[in-house]
Amino acid sequence: MKKIKQIFITLFLIGVLFGCNYNQKQKDEIQLYEFEHNGKTMKLGEVFSIEKYGQPEDYTEVESCAFEGLDKTFNYGSYEVTTFSDNDKDKIYSIYFLDENVKTKEGIKITDSFDKMKKTYGDDYEKIDNMYTYTKQKTQLNFIINNNEITSIEYLYAVQ
Amino acid sequence: MKYIKTFLIIFSFTLIFIFLNILFSPKYATNLIEGSMISEYYDEEVPHDVIFIGDCEVYANFSPIVMYEEEGISSYVRGTPQQLIWQSYSILKETLKYEKPKVVVFNVNSMRYNKPVSEAYNRLTIDKMKWSKEKIEIINNSMLKDETFISYLFPIIRYHSRYDKLTKEDFEYLFKRKKNTHNGFLINTNVKPYTSLPSKKILSNYSFSDIDYSYLDKIVSLCKKNNIELILIKAPSLYPYWYEEYETQIQEYSRKNNLQYYNFASISNEIGINYNLDTYDGGLHLNLSGATKLSKYFSNILKENYDLIDYRKNEKINKIYQKKINMYYNDIRY
Repeated sequence: MKKIKQIFITLFLIGVLFGCNYNQKQKDEIQLYEFEHNGKTMKLGEVFSIEKYGQPEDYTEVESCAFEGLDKTFNYGSYEVTTFSDNDKDKIYSIYFLDENVKTKEGIKITDSFDKMKKTYGDDYEKIDNMYTYTKQKTQLNFIINNNEITSIEYLYAVQ
Repeated sequence: MKYIKTFLIIFSFTLIFIFLNILFSPKYATNLIEGSMISEYYDEEVPHDVIFIGDCEVYANFSPIVMYEEEGISSYVRGTPQQLIWQSYSILKETLKYEKPKVVVFNVNSMRYNKPVSEAYNRLTIDKMKWSKEKIEIINNSMLKDETFISYLFPIIRYHSRYDKLTKEDFEYLFKRKKNTHNGFLINTNVKPYTSLPSKKILSNYSFSDIDYSYLDKIVSLCKKNNIELILIKAPSLYPYWYEEYETQIQEYSRKNNLQYYNFASISNEIGINYNLDTYDGGLHLNLSGATKLSKYFSNILKENYDLIDYRKNEKINKIYQKKINMYYNDIRY
């Protein structure tokens, strides 16, 4: 009887531990901004691959002064993905909207109003000049507003 | 006897500590050589009439050897990667302790940054600077929030984890320096033509910050105080974008302060720069061929507009420069 009790307690503790881990994972996923386009989800900080996200229309490499590694920019017509080099892997650093043909996952596009942005994302932003930044952990969603209209949208990953 | 023993123990410990600090510090001799540029200046034997200060757009684009060959101008580039304006100011102050140039050339590209960008770039500018009031000033003004002053004072605090990454370079250059530049100019003979660039991003604010203007004011008054002509330049480059709004502000500032300003990016055709041949990284920096064209062009401007000595006529200095010229062409060949 004592042994059965011990097994149950052990199983319960394992369950709690895994449950916590699962909840934490779920929480982490919710806590990050991500971009969806054509049914594909791009996560900031994630390894970028053309196989996964498709062939870009244009591709640019920018070298840094002194340090090895390239910032690579993949142009997909309406948006541009920039990666940074981390341990020989290209990870997504920025997703920059080039026109109003793409929307954020929550449905905001360039030319939408400031009010619509606030209604969608709320008041918990940081404002510097006319840029409004929403932050979720290491990810940022930046909007630039001119004359009450969104003129720029960019997802950014905080590189350490 | 007891005191002698204690003294010897403390002395030995200090010596070992100093040695370990030198050993663990990056040498920037064969790897990340840009970190060695700041200290090469201390070995100079000739006076310089022209001093360049600024970021990579000066050390990659202006060749003092070409300027000497062209017009006999003695110049030095005190540029470092991503040199921020408050760093340029302190480096200029430090330079004035060694000599008084007739002309200071400042590349305005750094006006776009209003705060320190990365510790890695800070280290390339600061690590090999001689200890001085100016070095302390640069450290205090440039540290990011995770950095500490003591790690600059005792590099072992920052670099202790290099214990398993030490290479032959760390021992070979323990007590000596490797010369990597030619009067501060870093030769790059590679050719990578311009193909395309990332899109021009909309900015939330195109105005240079108060801190940038305050340091530009300080550079202006330091030059005035020392009777030095200050020239502002924007080196030729296709990226990062030099916005029209930036250009307007610099033009306005130069006009108000009665300064000469040359935007070489806007006259790159006149200089003869061909971004298919004259760049090593697709249009960000000039290669040797581009830098030679720009240096010839600029040395003509300097000769025509400023009262500079033709050092080719000075036997002693010309002899030193001939050695420099030989080393320059030797490095280009190999």
